[in-house]
Amino acid sequence: MTRLSVLFLLPVLACAQDMIGRGADVFGKSCATGYCHGAKGGSGSTAPRLAARGFSEEYILQTISRGIPGTAMPAFGSVLPREELVAVIAYVDSLNGITPRNPAPEAEPEKKLPPEAARGRELFFDSLRGFGRCSTCHQVDGFGVPVASPIAIIPADAAALRRLATPHVETATVAGESFPALVVSQGKNQTKLYDLTAPPPVLRTLAPASVTLKQASDWQHARVLSTYSDAELQAILAYVRTAVAP
Amino acid sequence: MRILPILFAFAGATLAQDGATRADWNYHGGTQFAWRYSALDQINRSNVTKLVPVWAFQTGDYEMGLQSTPIVIGGTLYLSTSRSQVFALDAATGRLIWQFKYPLPRVTVPYGPQNRGIAVGGGYVLLATYDDYLIAIDQNTGQEAWRVSLDDMRQCGCTVTGAPLVVKDKVIVGGAGGDSAHRGYLTAVYLKTGRVAWRFYTIPGPGEKGHETWKGDSWKFGGGATWMTGSFDPGLNLVYWGVGNAAADNDARARYSGQGEGANLYTASVVALDADTGKLKWYHQEVPKDVWDFDSSYECVLIDREVRGQMRKLLVHVNKGGYAFVLDRVTGEYINGYPIVDNHNWTTGLTEDGKFVGRVEPVEGKPTLFCPSPFGGKSWNETAYSPRTGFLYTPTIEVCGEETAIAEEPHEGRSFIGGTWVFTNPPDGPAHSHLDAYDPVTGKRQWSYPYKYLLLASLLATGGDLVFTGDPEGFFFALDARTGTKLWSFQTGSGHRGSSVTYMLNGRQYVATPSGWGSLAAGAFPALWPETGTFRGGSALTVFALPEGTR
Repeated sequence: MTRLSVLFLLPVLACAQDMIGRGADVFGKSCATGYCHGAKGGSGSTAPRLAARGFSEEYILQTISRGIPGTAMPAFGSVLPREELVAVIAYVDSLNGITPRNPAPEAEPEKKLPPEAARGRELFFDSLRGFGRCSTCHQVDGFGVPVASPIAIIPADAAALRRLATPHVETATVAGESFPALVVSQGKNQTKLYDLTAPPPVLRTLAPASVTLKQASDWQHARVLSTYSDAELQAILAYVRTAVAP
Repeated sequence: MRILPILFAFAGATLAQDGATRADWNYHGGTQFAWRYSALDQINRSNVTKLVPVWAFQTGDYEMGLQSTPIVIGGTLYLSTSRSQVFALDAATGRLIWQFKYPLPRVTVPYGPQNRGIAVGGGYVLLATYDDYLIAIDQNTGQEAWRVSLDDMRQCGCTVTGAPLVVKDKVIVGGAGGDSAHRGYLTAVYLKTGRVAWRFYTIPGPGEKGHETWKGDSWKFGGGATWMTGSFDPGLNLVYWGVGNAAADNDARARYSGQGEGANLYTASVVALDADTGKLKWYHQEVPKDVWDFDSSYECVLIDREVRGQMRKLLVHVNKGGYAFVLDRVTGEYINGYPIVDNHNWTTGLTEDGKFVGRVEPVEGKPTLFCPSPFGGKSWNETAYSPRTGFLYTPTIEVCGEETAIAEEPHEGRSFIGGTWVFTNPPDGPAHSHLDAYDPVTGKRQWSYPYKYLLLASLLATGGDLVFTGDPEGFFFALDARTGTKLWSFQTGSGHRGSSVTYMLNGRQYVATPSGWGSLAAGAFPALWPETGTFRGGSALTVFALPEGTR
């Protein structure tokens, strides 16, 4: 190796060392906690040891970024900021004798929402409202419960959102009790419908003969929006406009 | 031989309540009193050595082991597995009657997929899935009747692991994931319609009493999971439930306000709720300002016993911190507390009125040895109480943890532990277990059965004066309930992490035990005992009885 190339490599190595150090911090806070991995990638808690396991670079990248579905290993690609993600991958690489790559691997770009839409997103999924939040019935960005069909029409303002026409909500009568219902499917052997009496909706599977359906109902969208103010609904609309591609 | 059990049965009937099961095993804890005791005595101390396996059932779902309690009603046995599958089996033969396959979301499951049982009531089998759905399955056909989403697992980082509890016309479901940044609750749902009847938040919101015990916004992410199954006293119309630790587990600096009575209410507490409305009747906080992950989430055993010459309605509750608490279940009044572990160093003990003194807390930057560890003085596997011996039986574990506090910011749904742990041996020797018999009121230990690894399966006590449980090596065994002497054992092929039950069908008593090694605690074994790294997983139910013609 010539003198020149050594000099040339030094900044890269120093930078890699910084990144591993940063990754060790991230690992300590996000991975070596509680029921998960042990400190410094060792065992000792309940998740497996990570140091000196002979993992490949690709495996480490994939597992940290995408998680392991069906287990407790989260997809950190959608959890950690990009800089922390890259650093923690470099750290786990280093625990397995892999020299950190340069340039760093691609991570999923972060979505930055405008302030009002960001506020709207918080409100849409606001867990402090319990079942009174939008995501009790709507799925957006892969979160929430897809009771309603995907949002296609976005009302202009809060008033229009409250007045939203819901012609597909029917009136079901089961065992002498009538309630607003959203029919999911009607087959020979079963009728599936959501009981919309009060949030959260209940998906019921009924024998077709046991349910009578009548077009229209007195159900109103405004009734399930009661936890939100007009200003909050405006922010929610701003979020939905950003999240639901036309 | 025939007269004696009848006499005992009469003695039992004079008590105000009866927590014994007979032909069926109706509830998670046997009855709603959570005794895990059956009055059946066909299998007893004198003939237990003759037990033979009569059938076995393989579920095929061995992820995280088999952690369930079967329910047996009218000759049908219902069994759930960690991946939210349910089987209905002929309890006499093991023949599959129906199977309910829950479609599994291909996503990360916080703390891994786990299921500790189903409930049966109103004609339905009630399954709470790990992705927070409650599903009613027709008890006879296995067809789904209704389902309702109680939360969004991917947002809250919470799951359901505990068995639901049927109470009158409702089913009550807790939630797990108190180590994730979210606000815990208990939900009651009408059996008939699936509609939510009430929800009790374990952390009071703004304006509610107890809210002042939380600093700033910490109440929004303060944990308080209700991850095991509670009890119900029909006479008092009260539901009792244990509430888990506050998050961040190991660091109270950002959540402890120092205001009001108690700390971070109602975490680390036992709560009594009106069964119809979910309104709080009383609470008892066992570990105020918990910084060791010492949940109060375990079973609430409801017994009536004499205290200082007076018959009292009691609630006995073992806390993860290694102490058992005896409360008056009418008022919540503290009556007694006693350690069940030999290794406890986080406190110097309890005062007369139930306050812990001499606390040692985790610090930042330097590991401190704490006994017990965050696995607790016992794990979630449940105790048993026999009215015949009057003893409470506990599967105690002696394992410690080196814990370090970490200052952590909450992010909704993400792990919010505020600490790092390494499970270790106690200072005076290797980690181990002991299955003990206690006077439940005084805490006087009557006998102790030692075991080299950790006992992680629930206990079953019977009218035949037997205590059954299984060990991680795969042995299912019976002890003499009066002396702790081992009388019988059988190798089931995989370690035990579930809960055994007993039932009677056509004049024959059966004992059913789930086996199948796995779970979070099982995952920590190889670090403590390298040889246990070869323990194989599994998921089977093995059922025993006396040979035909033997009585």
